Amino acid sequence: MSEHLTKTHYLDPEILHRLQDLEMVAREAVEGLRVGSHRSPLRGFSTEFSHHRQYAPGDTIRSIDWRVYGRTERYYTKLYEAETNYDCYLLIDASASMNYASGKLSKLEYAKFLAAALAYVVLKQRDSVGLSIFDSQVRAYLPPRSSMSIIAQIDRLLREVKPVPRTTIAKQLHDIALMVKRRSFVVVISDFFAEVGDIMTGLDHLRFDGHNVIVLHTLDRYELEFPFKGTWRFEGLELEEPLTTQAERVREDYLANFNRYLEAFQAGCSASHIDYTTVDTSRPLDAVLSEFFYKRQSVLAGPSVGAR
Amino acid sequence: MAFLNPWLLLGALGVGLPILAHLLNRYQVKRTDWAAMRFLNRSVRVRSRQLRLRDVLLLVMRCLALLCLVMAFARPAMKSAATPWLPGEKRAGVVIAIDASYSMAHTEAGVTRFARAIELAKAVVAQSQPGDPVSLVLLGGEHRVLLRNVAYDPKGFDTLLSEQTILPEPLDLEGVPKFLKDLTGDMDAPQKEVYILSDTQSRDWGRLSPTLRDAFRALGEEASVFVVPVGGGDENLAVTGLDLVSGTLRKGTTARYRATVHNFGSSPARDVEVRCRVDDIQIDDKRIPLIAAGSSETVSLFVPFHNAGPARITAEISGDALPTDDVRRVVAEVRERVSVLCVDGSSGETGGLVTSALLARADGSDDENYTVQTTQWPAFPTQDLDAFDVIILADVPEVTPEQAHQISRFVRRGHGLVWFAGDRIKADVWNRLSGDTEDALLPAKIGEAIDTRDSLGIGKPLAPDLPDHAVCRPLRSLPEDLLNETRFTRRLRVEPRDTCFPVLSLAGSHAPVLLEQSLGRGQVFMFTTSAQATWNNMALTPVFPMLMQQVVTYLAGREFEQPRTVGDSLALSYVEQPDASDAVFDTPLGQTITVPVREHRGQFIALLERSREAGFYVARVSIQSPGLPVAVNVDTRESDVACLIPARLQEQIKDTGVTLCTSESQLTAEIEITRTGRSYWRFFAMAALALLVLESLFADRILGRTHSRRSPDAQPVFQAEVA
Repeated sequence: MSEHLTKTHYLDPEILHRLQDLEMVAREAVEGLRVGSHRSPLRGFSTEFSHHRQYAPGDTIRSIDWRVYGRTERYYTKLYEAETNYDCYLLIDASASMNYASGKLSKLEYAKFLAAALAYVVLKQRDSVGLSIFDSQVRAYLPPRSSMSIIAQIDRLLREVKPVPRTTIAKQLHDIALMVKRRSFVVVISDFFAEVGDIMTGLDHLRFDGHNVIVLHTLDRYELEFPFKGTWRFEGLELEEPLTTQAERVREDYLANFNRYLEAFQAGCSASHIDYTTVDTSRPLDAVLSEFFYKRQSVLAGPSVGAR
Repeated sequence: MAFLNPWLLLGALGVGLPILAHLLNRYQVKRTDWAAMRFLNRSVRVRSRQLRLRDVLLLVMRCLALLCLVMAFARPAMKSAATPWLPGEKRAGVVIAIDASYSMAHTEAGVTRFARAIELAKAVVAQSQPGDPVSLVLLGGEHRVLLRNVAYDPKGFDTLLSEQTILPEPLDLEGVPKFLKDLTGDMDAPQKEVYILSDTQSRDWGRLSPTLRDAFRALGEEASVFVVPVGGGDENLAVTGLDLVSGTLRKGTTARYRATVHNFGSSPARDVEVRCRVDDIQIDDKRIPLIAAGSSETVSLFVPFHNAGPARITAEISGDALPTDDVRRVVAEVRERVSVLCVDGSSGETGGLVTSALLARADGSDDENYTVQTTQWPAFPTQDLDAFDVIILADVPEVTPEQAHQISRFVRRGHGLVWFAGDRIKADVWNRLSGDTEDALLPAKIGEAIDTRDSLGIGKPLAPDLPDHAVCRPLRSLPEDLLNETRFTRRLRVEPRDTCFPVLSLAGSHAPVLLEQSLGRGQVFMFTTSAQATWNNMALTPVFPMLMQQVVTYLAGREFEQPRTVGDSLALSYVEQPDASDAVFDTPLGQTITVPVREHRGQFIALLERSREAGFYVARVSIQSPGLPVAVNVDTRESDVACLIPARLQEQIKDTGVTLCTSESQLTAEIEITRTGRSYWRFFAMAALALLVLESLFADRILGRTHSRRSPDAQPVFQAEVA
C-alpha cells in the first residue's frame, strides 16, 4: 500500500482492503492521454483491430491492409480501437444541507469517505482522479492526476471543507462543466435538495459535454423514512424558517413529497443516461460501494449504450 | 366514605412526582437540524400555547391516575342507602354461623333443621358476589371455623356446605357473639353481615343473660346481625342416664343397670321400648308404657356378664325425631374374680363386721369368685398385694413407712383402699405417713375422735353429699326411715385435703363420714367413723352391706367405666413410664389419634384433650396393645329441642341490634335493604388504568417519548464500520 495512504483521514485500511478487487470501468468511451483499460473515442492505430474502411486519399499507406487488397484488389485501410485511461472528477456538494446527521456521521462526512474511497479505486487502476468541492460556488478544484500522491491532497482538501448554505446547484455544475475539458468520468456526490429541473439542467450540461456522469444521491436514513414521533422543531440547515410540528401528522405528506421528488429525479437521470444511485448513509461504506460497482458491471455487461 | 386501608392514602403524597416532572420538563420541544425542509408540510404547526395546554393536560391526567391508584389501594367504601346512583359495587363481608349442635338433627317431615339451615346459608351467599369475603362457622360446644375471611367462590362454598355434618355437642351460645365479633374484626369489607342460623332452642335463647345481650350489642356495632330461626317441634325422647345400680362386675354375675328416658316434648310418650345391648348383642328390653310430658321414667336392665373383660353396654330407644340422644353407653370392666383383703386392727370385731357385710348375699349362697381374706394387724401380708382388688384397713393403729409405700403403690396401680377409723388409730402416725403432699395416702388429716350426738344423746343420720355417686345410688332406693335408722355417735375430726371430696356426710352438720380421693389410677375411701357399734349402728342396718358392696364394686372398677360426655378429655394414665412414647385413641368413627405420653405430677398420662364424637372410643397404650373402651355420650342438655316462638325470640333480642328474619323471603328482603355498603376500589382502579392508557397514548403522540433524536437504535451502522 502506498505511503500516501497511511496519512489519510478518510481512507480506512480495512475499507481499502475490501475495495481491492473493485474496478471502476467507464460506461462509455472516455478520452485519455495514455494507453489504458478504457475504450477511447479516437479510432486509430493502436493495438486492437476495429474494422476496415475503404482507402481515402490522405490515409497513410502503412495502414492499407494488403491481404484484403490481394483478395479483392481494393484498397482498404485497417482501423484499430484505442484503449486509454480516463480522468475522473469527483464533485462533492458541501452545502449546509449535507451537514445533516441523524447519527454521528453527517451526509457530508459520508460523502468525503465515499469520495476518498472512489479516488483510491480510480487511482488503483491507473486512471486520473480530480476533485471539486462546491456549495454556493466552486470552493476547491484539484485537477486530475493519476499519481497516488494526489490521494493525500484530496484528503487534505476534504478535511478543510466546511459546509455553507446554498441556494442552487445548477450554477455550480455549469461552472464545473466549463472547467472539465476532456470527456471524463464525473461523479457527483450530493443530497440534491433542489428543484429537480434545476438539478437536471446542471447535470445535462455535463452530459452534453460528453462526460460519463454518475450521481451518488447521498441521503440520511431519517430523510428517507422520517421516523420522528411527537412534537419536533425542525430547523432548516439552508437558512429556511424553522417549523414546530407534530411529526406523525406531517410524516405522510413528507414521504409523499419526498418520493415524488425522488421519482422525478431518477426519471430525469434515466432520461439523460446518467447513472443514479441512492446512498443511504446508515449503510456501511464498503457495502454501498460493492453494490454500486456490481450494479455498474451488470449494466455494462448488458446491451451497450452507444457512444455519443 | 371510609377506607379499608386508610394508611395507604399517604401514597397521595406521590402526586408531587408528576408535578415535579412537569416543572422540570415543561414546554420542552425536541429540536433537530433538518435538511429536507422543502418536503415538510408547513401548514401543520404546533403553537407553544397548545404545547402548554397539552403539558397541563398530561399533568392533570398523571395526577388523577396516581390519585385514583392511591384511592383504589386504600379500598374506599361507603355505607349509605342515599347514594345508589354512585357507580360502586354492592359488597359485603359475610359471616355465616350455622348452629351445628345436635338438636339441629331434629327431623320434621324428613328434613332436619340442619338441612334447612344449609339451604338458608345458600340463600344468604346467593346475594354475595364472587370475591366477597366470606367466613363460615359451625357453632357447637367448640365453634369450628370452616372458612375464615376467604374470597367467595360459589362452587367451593356449596361443596363445603354439603360436606358438613352435625356435631354431637350442645351449643355454647354464651361464647358465640364474641367469637363472631373476632371473625368480623378480621374482615376487610365496606359492610359486614353476620347470619346466625339456629333452631333458637328455648334453653339457649329463652333467657339471654345481660352479658350475652351486651355481647350481641357489641357484635351489632361491628356488623349487621341477623338471626334466622330454623326451629320446629319440641317432641323428643332421650336416654339421659344408664347407671349401674347394683351387682358386682364379675364374670358369671348379673348387674342391674338403670336406664332413664326423659320426655322433653309437650305431649306424653307411650310404649317407649328401651333395648339393652352388650357388645352389640341385645340382652334385654323393657317397655315404658307412658312418659308424661317433661318427665323421666326409668327401667331396670339386667346385664349378665358371661366373660371377663370390658363390656360395651348401651341402652337405646328408637323411632324418635332426634336420634342423636337416643342411646346411652357405659363400659363395664368385668373381672374374672374380686378379691378383698381386710386388715383388722381391732380385736376382731371390726374385721368380722366388714367381712360379713361384704359377703352378705340375698340368697345366702357362696360365690367362689368373690373372696374376702381377713388378717389381723400387725400381720400385714408380705406377698404381692396385686392379688387383691381392694384393701380394707379397719381400725389399723399404724403402718410402717414401707407398708405405707406398698399400699400407696398398690392404689396407684389402679386398685382401691378403704380406711376405717377406730379406737386404736394413732392419728399422729397416719398424719406423719401421709404428710402434706398432694399424693398423700389418706384424703384427710386426722384429728381426735369427737362425739356427734345431739343434746338428747341421739346420733346423726347419714346424708349423701353426691346422690348420683355410684356409692350413694343404692342408698337412694332405700326407704327414708330405713336410711335414717343409721345413726352415728362418734367420728374422727378430720381436715380434708383439697384433692378429696365428701361422698357421705352427717345430716345437718356436713361433717364428712366418707371421703374419696384419687391416687394414681386408684381410689381411696376414708370412713371417719368405725364399723364398731360403739361409733354407730351402721353395721346393724342394711345400709352397711349395701354401702360396702357398692364401695368394693366401685373400687374394683376401672377408670374408663365412668362414661364421658362429648367434649370431655380422655386420659390414659400409666403407673410407670411406658415403653411407647405415644398412646393411641380410636374414635367411634374409626379414626386413629396418636397422643404423646407426658409426665404430670409423677404420673405418666396420655391425654386426648377433647372427645368430639359420641360412641365408644378405644384407648391403647400402644398401637398393638389391647384397647380399653371408653363410653362417650352426648350432653343431654341439648335434648330439650323446644324452640322459641318468633315473638318470644324478638322479645329476647330486643335492643341488641340483632334482626330477626323468620323466613327466607324476609331474609332476602332484609339483605337487599341492609346491604348498602359499596366498594369503589375497582372503579378507581379502572379509572386509573384508563387514565394511564390515555396518558400513555397522548404522551406518545405529543411527545414521541419512545423515540429521540439521539436514541441508540437510530445510529447508522455505517459509523461503526467507518469510524
